[in-house]
Amino acid sequence: MCDGPVRKFNFVYLLAYIFVPIAVCALCIGIAFGPFRGVGAGAAVLTVVPSLASIAWWVGGGRFLYSRAKKRAEAELKAQGVNANQIFYSRGWSVFVDVAGGQVGLVSFWNPFKIFLIPASRIQKTWVDDGVGGVAIFKGSNRVSFLLQVDNSNVRVDTFTSNQRFAPNSDHILTGISKADTWVEILQAAKQNAG
Amino acid sequence: MGFFRNIRSIFHDDWCSRCKSQMEVVRKQLYALPDQRVGHYKAHDDAAYYQKTLVPIEKKAQVPTGMYACGMHVYRCPQCGHQAVKLTVFLPVRDEEKVEQALYFEDGEMDAFL
Repeated sequence: MCDGPVRKFNFVYLLAYIFVPIAVCALCIGIAFGPFRGVGAGAAVLTVVPSLASIAWWVGGGRFLYSRAKKRAEAELKAQGVNANQIFYSRGWSVFVDVAGGQVGLVSFWNPFKIFLIPASRIQKTWVDDGVGGVAIFKGSNRVSFLLQVDNSNVRVDTFTSNQRFAPNSDHILTGISKADTWVEILQAAKQNAG
Repeated sequence: MGFFRNIRSIFHDDWCSRCKSQMEVVRKQLYALPDQRVGHYKAHDDAAYYQKTLVPIEKKAQVPTGMYACGMHVYRCPQCGHQAVKLTVFLPVRDEEKVEQALYFEDGEMDAFL
């Protein structure tokens, strides 16, 4: 549990996430074309298996670690006596709020080994970004989020994302805005209770 | 004439299902649905659920953020006296409404509630 500055990225993890599989693949392919040259089966295994494992890691590894981190956060917050009665799981961040206790737990997808627990009084600002842009028939959005500013850095929690653009009054956007508005109120209530 | 009127009545919520006359609104009321929250909406079709959970309110601004609301229209046919209740379940979002369900109770299911 960390009460220091909230950081979205663990750069060591981020670089390892991208480059370790590439390095392993390169090493295995090097071995396959070096010592294993002429040993067909061994070379094939050393070429194919690390490549498939890397793809599997890039597709699902981060999600797996993030889901483990969320479960760990719930358990650790409970163990610390934090009653996280409001929880929001988003693609990039998970937010756990103890409204009465005025505490906020945060877990980032790109920093899954740290669980941040901060007093809600450290939240400087909360607001909703409906992502609406464009004019006339092109007016729309593909992302709705609520943001909290902690220690001068912004934490953006998406309540709706899509690869399509939706009209501002579409059901998807309205649902996203409603969730974001609700969460801004929850965070403000926690901040008030934190004093 | 009757055939065309029957066809047209399909597209009019406020026409009597029995005599195809236009019904008049005899009562309007707005309710909050405290156990339905954004992201956790569950559709219900039974009148008993609404009788149990609807909380009357004066205006939309009284609905807390993220909570569903329900508009009730009570219709009465001036020709045959048939009564119908229309419930529109929606999520108020700022100045907009996201409609989830529109339900008609035409056989007196909501009479006890009214």
